[in-house]
Amino acid sequence: MIRFDNVTKTYDQQSHPALDAVSLDVDRGEFVFLVGASGSGKSTFIRLVLKEDRVSRGAVYVAGQNVANIPSWRVPRLRRGIGVVFQDFRLLPNKTVFANVAFAMQVIGKSRAVIRETVPDVLATVGLEGKNNRMPHELSGGEQQRVAIARAIVNRPGILLADEPTGNLDPTTSMGIMKVLDRINQNGTTVVMATHDDDIVNTMRKRVVELRSGCVVRDDAQGIYVGDPGAELPVGAE
Amino acid sequence: MRLAFILSEIGSGIRRNLSMVTSVILVTFISLTFVGAAGLFQLQIGQMKGYWYDRVQVTIYLCVDNSSETSCATGPVTEEQRAAIQTRLESEQFAQYVDTVTYESQEEALGHFRDQFANSPIVDSVTADQLPESFRVGLVDAEKYEVIDEAFSSEPGVDAVSDQRDFLEAIFRYMNWASVVALVIAGIMTFCAILLIATTIRLSAFSRRRETGIMRLVGASKAVIQLPFVLEGVIAAVIGAVLASATLWGASRFLIDGWLVKTFPQTAFISSQQVLILVPALILLGAVLAGLSSLLTLRRYVKV
Repeated sequence: MIRFDNVTKTYDQQSHPALDAVSLDVDRGEFVFLVGASGSGKSTFIRLVLKEDRVSRGAVYVAGQNVANIPSWRVPRLRRGIGVVFQDFRLLPNKTVFANVAFAMQVIGKSRAVIRETVPDVLATVGLEGKNNRMPHELSGGEQQRVAIARAIVNRPGILLADEPTGNLDPTTSMGIMKVLDRINQNGTTVVMATHDDDIVNTMRKRVVELRSGCVVRDDAQGIYVGDPGAELPVGAE
Repeated sequence: MRLAFILSEIGSGIRRNLSMVTSVILVTFISLTFVGAAGLFQLQIGQMKGYWYDRVQVTIYLCVDNSSETSCATGPVTEEQRAAIQTRLESEQFAQYVDTVTYESQEEALGHFRDQFANSPIVDSVTADQLPESFRVGLVDAEKYEVIDEAFSSEPGVDAVSDQRDFLEAIFRYMNWASVVALVIAGIMTFCAILLIATTIRLSAFSRRRETGIMRLVGASKAVIQLPFVLEGVIAAVIGAVLASATLWGASRFLIDGWLVKTFPQTAFISSQQVLILVPALILLGAVLAGLSSLLTLRRYVKV
C-alpha cells in the first residue's frame, strides 16, 4: 500500500538528511507504528506519503503509484485516498462536530443527501453518537481527536496516517483512541501511526518501525518500543 | 453542492473581512470612475471631431482699408481682384478640393457679428466697413486645408486665409490633456486597487488558513480551495465598477444633458446613453484586475 524505495529527504544541503536511504513496505490492511524520538524523521515520512514534500532521492509509492509522477492537479485525488490525523486535532472551532466532519465531504463535492447519511455513521464508529451539534470547545481532548479521526475516515480512504494522535492526551484517553484506530484498521484501512508513546506501542503489539536520525534501525512484526534506550525493558518484553 | 459550498465560503470570507472588502470596493470605484472619465473625454473628442470636421470651412478674408499684408498693398480689395479669386476658387484646378464657395459681404459680416455679440456693447461701435468681406470655402476633405492656404494667401486682395481647425485643435488639445490626466489618476488608483486586493486576499487567506489546510488534506481540488478567494476579490471589484458606472452616468446626465447641452446648443456633446457603452468595459476591467491580482497573490500565500 505504501512503499519507500531507498528514500532520502534532505531539507537543506548542510544538515543531516531527515530520512536517509529508507526502504519500507506497508501492506494493505497493516497497522504500523512509526516510532522514534523527535526529529527522527516520522513526520517527514508522513509528509512524503501525502506529497507535501518531494523526495531528494529514491521513490515513494502509494497504492502502487510513484507519487513523484503524479501531476499537481492529480494530487488532490491522491490525498482523498489518505486520511490524516494530527496531535493538535485541527478542528474548525466555529463549526459543530457534524459540520467539521461534513466539511471534508463538502469540499470534494459530495451531495447533501450523502453527507447527511454518512456523517452520523462515521461519528458512531468513533464513539461520538449524539454529539452532532456540540462545538469543539465543548468537547474533551479525546472527543476532539475522535472528531478529527471521523473527519479523516469519512471519505473512506484506504490509508490512515496518524501523526502523534495521542500526544496531547492522557493514557486512559489515549487507549480509547487506540481502540478506535484499531477498529478502523480491522475494517481494512491501512494505518500508519507515528508516536513516541512506548506504553501504547507495547500494549498494541503491532508492527513497529523505529527511526533514528532518519534511518530505519528496527522493523519488528510484533514489536515493542523503549523510548529511552538507556531505560530497562518493560517486564514481559523480549 | 460544491457551488453552494463555494458561495457560503465567499459569504463567510466577505463577512470576516468586511472592512477590507469595503475598501476594495471604494478604491476600484474611484479608479474605474477615472478610467471611465478618460474614456468619456475621448468619446467627446471623437464626437466633436466628427461633427466639426464635416462642417469646417476655410475663410479667405479680403483686404479692407487698414490691412497690413503685402497682398493688400493696393488698399481694399477691388472688384477685379474679388472676381479673380472667385473664378479661381471655382476653376477646374480646385474642383477636387472645393465643395462650396459662399461670398460674404461686409454687410452680411456685420449681420453675423451682431448676431454673435448681441449682448455685448461692442456691437454699437462696429460698422460694416471695419469688417472684411470673405469667401467661405467648404472643403471636400477638411484635411486639405493647406492647399487653399498656399494657393490664396498671397493672391492680391487676400488679407488672410484662416481655418477653423486651428481653434478646434486647441480645444481638442486641452481635452486630450484632461483625458491624459484622468488616465494618470486612473493608473495610480488602479495600482492602489491591485495592491489593496492583493492585501485583502492575503488577509483573507490568513484568516482562513485552518480551513484551507484541512481542504488540502482531505483532497479538495485547487479550484475549490482558491475560487472563494478569487471570487471575493472579483465580487468587490465588480461592485466598485457598477458604482463607477452609475456615477459616470449620473454625472453625464447632470453635467452634459442637464447643463452643457442647454448652455452650448451649437456643440455636439456625447449623450448619457453613450456612457452605457463604457459600462461593460469597466465591469470587465474591474473583474479582470481583481481576478489576476488575487490569483497571483494566492500562488504565493495559499499552498495547494
